[in-house]
Amino acid sequence: MNVDPITFAVIKSGLDSIADDMAYTVVRIARSEIVKDVMDFSAAICAADGQMVAQAKTIAQHLGAIPQAMEAVLAKYGDDLHDGDVVIMNDPYHGGMHLPDIFMFVPLFYEGRRRAFAVVICHHTDVGGRVPGSNASDSTEIYQEGLRLPPLKLYERGKLNETLETLIKINVRVPDRVWGDLSAQYAAAQVGKRGLDRLFHRYGADEVEAYMQELLDYAERLTRAEIRQWPKGTYRFTDHIDNDGFSDKPIPISVAITVRDDGTLLVDYTGSSPQVKGALNSTLSFTHSLTYLSVRCVLGRDVPNNVGVFRCLEIKVPEASVLNPVMPGPCAARALTGYRVFDTMLGALAQIVPDRVPAAGEGGNSVICISGLRPNRKPFIIVDMICGAWGGRPDKDGLEAVTNASQNLSNMPVEVMEAEHPVRVEEYAFVPDSCGAGHWRGGIGLRRSYRILAPEALLQMRTDRVAFRPYGLAGGEPGGPSRNSIEIDGEVKPLPGKVTMTVPQGAVIVHDQAGGGGFGNPFTRDPELVLEDVKDGKITAEFARDRHGVVITAGRLDLEATQRLRQERVA
Amino acid sequence: MRAGSEVRVAVDVGGTFTDIALMADNGVLHESKISTTPDDPSIAVVDGLIALLDELKIAPSAVAEVLHGTTVGSNTILQRKGARTGLITTRGFRDVLEIGRIRMPDMFDLTWDKPKPLVPRRHRLEVTERIAADGSVIEPLSEGDVISAAEALLADGVEAIAICFLNSYRNPAHEQQAEAILKARFPDLAVSASYAVLPEMKEYERTSTTVVNAYLLAAMRSYLRRLEQRLAAAGIAAPILVMTSNGGMLPAATAGDKPVMVVASGPAGGVIGAARLGAALSETDIIVFDMGGTTAKAVIIEDGRPSMTSEYEFRDGMSTSSRFIKAGGYMLKVPAIDIAEVGAGGGSIAGIDAGGLLKVGPESAGAVPGPACYSLGNTRPTVTDANVVLGMVNPKSLAGGRLAIDRRLAEEAIREHVARPLGLSLEDAAHGIRAVANAAMARAIRAVTVERGRDPRDFTMMAFGGNGGNHGVDVARQLGVRKIIIPPFAGVFSAVGMLAADVEHTALATVMRLLDTITPTELGEIMDGLAADVSARLAAEGYSGNKAELAWQAEVRHEGQATELPVPFEATGDRFAQIRERFFAEYFKTYGYRDQTPLELVKVTVVGRGLRRNRLDFSNMRIDQRPGAARSGHRLVSFTRGEPAIETEIVPRAAVGSEPRRGPLIVEEFDATIVVPPDTSISRDRTGNIVLEIGGQA
Repeated sequence: MNVDPITFAVIKSGLDSIADDMAYTVVRIARSEIVKDVMDFSAAICAADGQMVAQAKTIAQHLGAIPQAMEAVLAKYGDDLHDGDVVIMNDPYHGGMHLPDIFMFVPLFYEGRRRAFAVVICHHTDVGGRVPGSNASDSTEIYQEGLRLPPLKLYERGKLNETLETLIKINVRVPDRVWGDLSAQYAAAQVGKRGLDRLFHRYGADEVEAYMQELLDYAERLTRAEIRQWPKGTYRFTDHIDNDGFSDKPIPISVAITVRDDGTLLVDYTGSSPQVKGALNSTLSFTHSLTYLSVRCVLGRDVPNNVGVFRCLEIKVPEASVLNPVMPGPCAARALTGYRVFDTMLGALAQIVPDRVPAAGEGGNSVICISGLRPNRKPFIIVDMICGAWGGRPDKDGLEAVTNASQNLSNMPVEVMEAEHPVRVEEYAFVPDSCGAGHWRGGIGLRRSYRILAPEALLQMRTDRVAFRPYGLAGGEPGGPSRNSIEIDGEVKPLPGKVTMTVPQGAVIVHDQAGGGGFGNPFTRDPELVLEDVKDGKITAEFARDRHGVVITAGRLDLEATQRLRQERVA
Repeated sequence: MRAGSEVRVAVDVGGTFTDIALMADNGVLHESKISTTPDDPSIAVVDGLIALLDELKIAPSAVAEVLHGTTVGSNTILQRKGARTGLITTRGFRDVLEIGRIRMPDMFDLTWDKPKPLVPRRHRLEVTERIAADGSVIEPLSEGDVISAAEALLADGVEAIAICFLNSYRNPAHEQQAEAILKARFPDLAVSASYAVLPEMKEYERTSTTVVNAYLLAAMRSYLRRLEQRLAAAGIAAPILVMTSNGGMLPAATAGDKPVMVVASGPAGGVIGAARLGAALSETDIIVFDMGGTTAKAVIIEDGRPSMTSEYEFRDGMSTSSRFIKAGGYMLKVPAIDIAEVGAGGGSIAGIDAGGLLKVGPESAGAVPGPACYSLGNTRPTVTDANVVLGMVNPKSLAGGRLAIDRRLAEEAIREHVARPLGLSLEDAAHGIRAVANAAMARAIRAVTVERGRDPRDFTMMAFGGNGGNHGVDVARQLGVRKIIIPPFAGVFSAVGMLAADVEHTALATVMRLLDTITPTELGEIMDGLAADVSARLAAEGYSGNKAELAWQAEVRHEGQATELPVPFEATGDRFAQIRERFFAEYFKTYGYRDQTPLELVKVTVVGRGLRRNRLDFSNMRIDQRPGAARSGHRLVSFTRGEPAIETEIVPRAAVGSEPRRGPLIVEEFDATIVVPPDTSISRDRTGNIVLEIGGQA
C-alpha cells in the first residue's frame, strides 16, 4: 500500500489513545478492588481479522494471550458475529488464561462491515469453584476452579442473553461485583466503539483497516531489524518454582533461545517440568504471552505493542508440560508460572543483550486471599496482590515498591481495605536487608501483615521464592527469600509458601516478599551508596559489612577499614 | 492619569516570559512581556510592572490589587528545592509515601526510574497510635513518640514536618494532638497535618499531598514575602492574590499556608479568562486551546464551568492523556482544572525514529537556542521552522521586529532531518511536522472531550498562547470544531484571565453513604457546617452578603465503584432529586450504558466565591494593543499539502473588520500570528476578539 507517513502517525496515536480511553473507563466504573485499585485488567483493539493492533497501558501479561483467545472466538462464530454482539470467554482450554480472567470481545461494525474488535479482559474477584477468589493453587482439576465459559454471546444483536446472565450470577460468590465489573468491560467497549467510529469517519474505514495492517508490519520490521543485530547462537537458562504445594519437588522451567539470521527467534521450552498436580499449570496462550513480552522488554521503546512483534518468534512448548497442560489440568494459579517464564526468558536474554537485562526481580506478585463471612453472614473476599522489587540493572539499582515489569498492577490502599473488609493491616513496609547485594543492588522486598477481625477466615497464600531466591547477574547475589508466618494468641509460627487454611479471629498473617537479585560484584559498589542505604534503614550495618565489605561505624563510613575488608575478601 | 484612580494588575510568570496585564479604572487593558528571572521570579514581576507603569505614566500607589500566577510551586518540586521535610506517621506505615501506588507509566520499560520520594526513609518516623476505619481509637497517641520523633528530625536538619496518620480522614484527633504538640514545642517549625490539607480516604494520596504541602511551605512563604517587599519598595502596597490550581484566587497569606493549592497556578488564569469571556459572548461550551513554545494545553468548559479534577500527578511539568496511570509523579489530591498537556509547541523538535516514523516533541528547543531559524545554534527543525518555511509566520522577524528570523536555516534543518530521510519535498516535510504536532495537540483535546464522552463538534474553540491562533484552525478541523475565538492579547491571555477571577474558598465533607439512607435533615446539617466554614473564611477577607456566593457539588458513584462523577446541585429545591437526575444523565453520557445499582454519596463540596470589586468585564473590555511587525503586505503561504502556495495578505488585528471575509489571510500581532486558510472566514467583534468560522470538510 501507499503509506502516507503523516496519516500513519495520526492513526497510530489514535488507536493507542482509544485503547487508553477504554482502560480508563474500566478503572472508573469497576466494582472490585482487584480491578479498580489493583488494576488487574487490560484493554486492546484488534483488526477485523482478529490481529491485535493496539493495547492500553495495562497488564502486559494479557497482551500475548489475545491472539489465541481470538482464534477460539473466530473458530466458534466465524461470520456469525453481528453489530451488537458481545462475546465472553474464560476457559483456559478455549484460549483463556485462568478462569477469573473473563475476556470480552465486541465486534465493531462500520458501514455494514466488521472492521475491528474491542477486547477487554478483567480479573474477576470470584468465578465460583471450591474456594473464594477462584484462585487457589491447591486445586487438582479445572472443574474445581469455577465456572468455565467457552466463547458465548452475552449480548446478541444488542439483546442481553438472560440465560447466561442468570447462570453467571448464580455460580459466583459476589454476583454484584462480577456483574458490575462485566458492565465496566461493556462500557469500555462502547467507548472503544465511539473512538473507532470517529477514526473511520475521519479517514475512511478501508483506509484505517489498511493502516492497521501496516502498523503490524511496522512492528515486525522494527523487531526483525533489532534481532538481526543480536549475536547468533543458542542461549539456555533454567529457573525454578519452589513447588506446587503438594510436594517439595522443585518445578524447573527451561528455555533455549536461538537467534536466527532472518531476525527471528526460536524459543524452545523443552526440558521444563511436566504438568503438575496443583494449579500452577500455565496454559499455552499464557506461556506464549510471557514469551512475547519478555522479548518486547529488551526491544527498543518505540516498537508498538501488537502482534507484528509476535511474528518474529517461533515458540515450542512440549505438550502436557507445566507450560502447556492438557485437560483437566488446573491452572488458577498460573500467574506464578508465567512470572517464572519471564525470569527464565530474561536469564537467557541476558546472555544475548547483557546491557539491557536486570537481575531477577521478586518473582511475581504474591497473592493473599482472605475470605469468610462478616458477623451479619454477608460474604467478603479480599484478593490482595503484593508487588514488587526489580533486580539490579546493568547501570543502576533495581527499583523497589514497583509492579513486576510483566504486569502493571497497583496496590489496594490500606484505608480502602479496612473500610470495606473485616481486617486490619498492621504493617505495610520495606523489609530491610532483603535486597540482593551487587555493584547495583536489587530492590528491597515489601511486607504486608493482616489482622483478622471476622469471626474466622479462610486464608490462601500463593507465594514463592522461598527456596529458589531471585537470581543475581554478573556476580551479583540473589535477592532475599520470601517468608510467611502467622501469629495466634502471641505465638508466631512459620507458614509455607503455598497455604490454604482456616484462621481464627485475632490472628495476624505476615507475608514478606522476596527482594530483587543484585547485578555485578557487590564489593565494587560505591561505599557512599551503601552508607545512604544504611542511613535509610534499607540495609543494616551488618549487611553492609558482610555483603558489600563496607564498614560503617556509628553511622559513619570507615573507608580505610572498608578497603582492608574488601582486599581480604578478594584474597 | 487622574489622581486617585486605581489600576489592577495581573502578572503570570511562565518558563520563558513573564506576562503582564494591567486594567486601568476606565476599563482599558494594557499588556507587557518581560523575560522571566528564574532565580527569583519576583524580580521580573516587579521590574516588568514598574516599566509598564512608567510607560503609562501611572503612579505605583495607584495599583489597588496584584493578581499573580506563579510557577514557584511547580518549579520548587521540579528542581527539588523545597524544604528538608520530615514525616511523622502511624507505626508500621513509614513507607507508604515511597511505596505509592506501585504502577509504572509505560509497559515493557526495564530502564524506568521511579521518582525519589520527597522525604527519604530516614526522615519518615513512626509513632504509636492507631485509629480504626470507623474512626474509633484502637491505640492512643504516644505524645512521647511525637516529641522524640520531632527532636530526631530537627537534629538531622529537617525544616518542615508533615503529619499523616492512618484513617485520620475519619477521626483527626490524633493528628490535631500531634500538631498541637509540635506547635507548642517548636513554634517556628513549618508543620502540615493531613486533616487540614486533605481530609480524604486513601493513605498514599493524602500523605503525598500533605508532604508536598510541607515541602513547599517555606519556599512559597519566602517567595511571597520577597514579592511583597519588592512591591512595597517600588511603592506598591496593594494586596496580592494568588491564582490557585482550580482557578480561584487566594490571599497571599492563605497561599503561603496551603501552597499545594497553587502548584498548577500558571495555566489556570487563561482558563478562567476563557470561561468569563465565553460568558460575555454567550459561548458556554468551549475548548480552551493554549499553545505556547514547549507545550500545548487543552481544557473544556461546559455550561460555563471549566472541567475540574480532584487529583493529578505532578511529573516534570507534563501530564499525559492517560490519566489512569498512577506512577512516576507526585500525587496531589487537590482540586485543579483538568488540563491535558502535550509536549507540542513552537519549539518542539521534529525527527525520524528508528522505524521510519515522523515524530515531533516532547523535546523542545526552548527559547534559547530556540528554533533553527533563530540562528542561535540549534540545527534541528522545530514546529516554528516548519511554519516559517510554509509562510505561516513572518520569515524575516518576530515580536514586532525584535527577533530576526533566518528562513534559510529553517529550510536546511527540515531538509536534513525530515525531508531527505522520508523522501519528501521540503514543503511536504514541513506540512508533515505541522500535521504530527497538530495530531498530538488534537490528542490532548480528545483526552478532555472524546474520552469523557463529549463530542468536540459541540464546542467552540478559544485559542491563545503564542501559537494558538497559528495552529487553531488545523487542530479544530481534526476534531470537527467549526468556530474559533482568539481573544485580544492572546499572547498574555493567562494574565488577562486573572483580572476576571474571583476569590475562592473550598470546603468538603466525606460522606460515603448510600444516597437512599441519608435523610434531608442529615444532608442539611452537612451543608450547614460547610457553608458556615467557607462563609467565615470569605467574611474574614471582606466578602459577605451579595459579594459572596456558594456553589454546591455532590460526588456520586454507584455502590462499589472507585471513582465518582461530580454533580453540581442547587441548595434550593429537592436536592436529592437533582443529584440523582444529574448523575444518571452524566453517567449515561460518559459511559454509554445505564446502571440500576444503588448510588453512594461520597463527598459534598462547596465553593465559596468572593466577588472581587472591579473584576474585568469582558463584555465591556477595551484594549490598548501594541503594534505587530507587519504593516499590511503580502507573502506566499502554503496552506495545504500538495497544493501550490497562495499569495496571501498580511494585516494587523486592527485591520480586520466586523464583516466576515474569507481567507486566505494572516494576522500578525505583537506576539502572535493568526492563520486563516482559504476556506475559513474571519471577523472581529466589538471588543476586539477575532472570530474564525471554518468551512470545507470537517
